[in-house]
Amino acid sequence: MVRYEIRIAGFGGQGVITLSKMITMASAIYEGLAATQTEAYSASARGGKCWAEVVVDLDKDAKIIDYPKALSPYDFLIILSAESAKDVKKAHLKTDENTGFLLWDPTTITKFGAAKRVKSLSIPVQKLALEKFGNIVFGNSILFGAFTVLAGIFSEESALETMKRFVPSSTLEANIEAFELGKQEAQEYLKQLKEGGS
Amino acid sequence: MSSSSDKRFLPEGRHLLMGNIAMVEGAISAGLTFFGGYPITPSTEAIEHLAKRLPEIGGCCMQMEDELASINSVIGASLVGAKSMTATSGPGLSLMTETISMAANLEIPFVFCDVQRTGPGTGLVTEPHHNDLGLMRFSGNGEFQVIAIAPMNCQELFDLTITAFNYAETYRCPVFLMSDAYLGHLHEVVNIPPKEEILKRVIKRESPEDAPARVFSYKDRETGEYVIPKPPIMGTDYCPGLFIHLPHGPEGLPTPKPMEFMEMMIEKIKSNIDKITMVDKYKLEDAEIVIIAYGLPVRTSYRAVEIARQEGIKVGLLRLITVWPFPDELVKEVVKDAKAVIVPELNYTGIIAEQVQRVTKLTTPIIKIGKVAEFHHPDDILKVIKEVAK
Repeated sequence: MVRYEIRIAGFGGQGVITLSKMITMASAIYEGLAATQTEAYSASARGGKCWAEVVVDLDKDAKIIDYPKALSPYDFLIILSAESAKDVKKAHLKTDENTGFLLWDPTTITKFGAAKRVKSLSIPVQKLALEKFGNIVFGNSILFGAFTVLAGIFSEESALETMKRFVPSSTLEANIEAFELGKQEAQEYLKQLKEGGS
Repeated sequence: MSSSSDKRFLPEGRHLLMGNIAMVEGAISAGLTFFGGYPITPSTEAIEHLAKRLPEIGGCCMQMEDELASINSVIGASLVGAKSMTATSGPGLSLMTETISMAANLEIPFVFCDVQRTGPGTGLVTEPHHNDLGLMRFSGNGEFQVIAIAPMNCQELFDLTITAFNYAETYRCPVFLMSDAYLGHLHEVVNIPPKEEILKRVIKRESPEDAPARVFSYKDRETGEYVIPKPPIMGTDYCPGLFIHLPHGPEGLPTPKPMEFMEMMIEKIKSNIDKITMVDKYKLEDAEIVIIAYGLPVRTSYRAVEIARQEGIKVGLLRLITVWPFPDELVKEVVKDAKAVIVPELNYTGIIAEQVQRVTKLTTPIIKIGKVAEFHHPDDILKVIKEVAK
C-alpha cells in the first residue's frame, strides 16, 4: 500500500470536481491503479466552498483503497480560492522528496502565507486561460498539465486519453495546448527546484 | 438483437462510476425495467441516472409525487411482471413501510436501495450512518422476513444489486441494499463483465409454462420443505384472481390457519439461510480475536487485521455481506472460542453488535466501535485490537 493523497479546494464552478475526476480517471482507468474520489455535495459544489479528494494507491497490486478519504499530510494540494487558502498550513503537506506539492492560482488568491513555507507553484491559471484561450474553463487543463508533471503518478499518455473523455472534441486541440502550458510551467519549476536544492 | 437490449449493458471493461450509479447499472443489468421514486439526498443520483437510462432500454422511470406513491408504483409494476425497485434514504423508508408490509404479505418481489444518511428525522443529509437496519428488518406491521445486503465498494454496488434482484425473484420477500451517503457518492472503478456472463447470473422474471393453482409459498406436507413458486404475473393465466391482504394459503385464498401462514412467511427465508448468507472469512482459522463488520467498516477492518497480524496478533475478520437474516449458527461457530469480539459499526447503538451478543457466550467480551457521520480509520480498530490482545 502506497497511498497518494490529493486534495483540491476552491469554490463551486471552478472545476474542482471535474479536475479531481480527471485525476481519478487517468490513475484508475488508464494506469490501472486503485483509486477513490469523493467530493463536496449540494450547495457547496454550486458556488460555495468546494472541495474534492482523490486517493490513489501507487502499488499496482492493490485492489482497494481501505480508507477512502484523503489524509493529511497530503502529497498534493491544489488551492483555487482565497477562502480555501486560509485553511492551508505547512503541516498539511508532506516534506519528502518528489512529493508534498502545493499548486495555486494567484489570480484568485492574493495572499498565501503557507505557500512560502512549502514546495509551491503558483500559476495564474484563470488569467492565462482567459488571455490565451478566451475562456476560464481552459484553466482546468492547465492545472491538469501541471499536476501530471509534478505528481508523476500517471503518464502523459494517460492524461491525454483522459482529456479526450472530458472535453468536447471541438476544443480538444486548445485544451491540449492549455495542458502543454501547465506542463511547461511545472517542468520549469521542477528545474528550479533541482537547481535550488543542489 | 434490438438496439434497446444492447444498451442494457455497459461496455465490458473498467468504468469510473459513482456508487449510486454503479448500483442502478447493476439493477439494469439484472433486468430492471421500472423504477418508481422520489428524489432524496443522498440517493438522488439513482433516479437522475435512471430517468435517462431506463427509456433507452424501453423501461420506465417515474418520479412520483411522494414516497408512498413511489413504493406503490414499484409494487404495481412488479405485479404485472416488471423487475422493479426504488432508492431512497431513511426518511423515505419510514414513509414506505406500509406498502412494504403489504408486498411482503403478497410475496411481491422488489429491491429497495436505502442510501442511509445520518438520522433520526432529517438528520445530516449528506453524512453516512448505518442506522436503518432496525427499520429494514421490521419494515412494516406484521411478521415477515426481509433480506438485507451490505456492499462495501462501488464494484459490489454493481454486483450485489444483481444478487439482490435474484434473491427477490427466488425468495419473494423485500430485499434491501444497505448503501450509505459516503458509498453512494464515492467514485471508484467498476469492472463490468461481458454481457453473456451477466446474463448467466440473472434469474429472469417469467411465468412457468403450466399454470399451477399454487402461486404463493407453502410447506410441502410430504417433504416438509417450503416451496416458493415463481411470482405470479397479472394479466396471465398464472395469476390468482385476487390479491388478498389476509393471511392466505398457496392459492391466494384466505386461510383459516393464520399460524401456518406465519410459519411459511418466516420459515421460507429461515430454512434457506445457508443459501442466502454470504460472508467472507478472513484469517479466522487461528484467530483469538474476531472482528465482525459489514459495509464500509469492512474495508478498514481488512487493513487493521493485516497490520495486527504483522505484529503477531492472532486476529481475523468475519465480514457479513448478507446482514439480514442474521446468520446465528455461523456467527456462533466463528466466535465460540474467541477471546473477544470487536464490532466496528457506523452507528452508536451497535445494531449488529446486539445480534452478536445474542449468539455469543456471556463471558466473551464484545467491544463496539461506533462512528456516526464519519468512518473508522484502520488505527481506530487497531488500537482496540491491541488493547484486547494485551
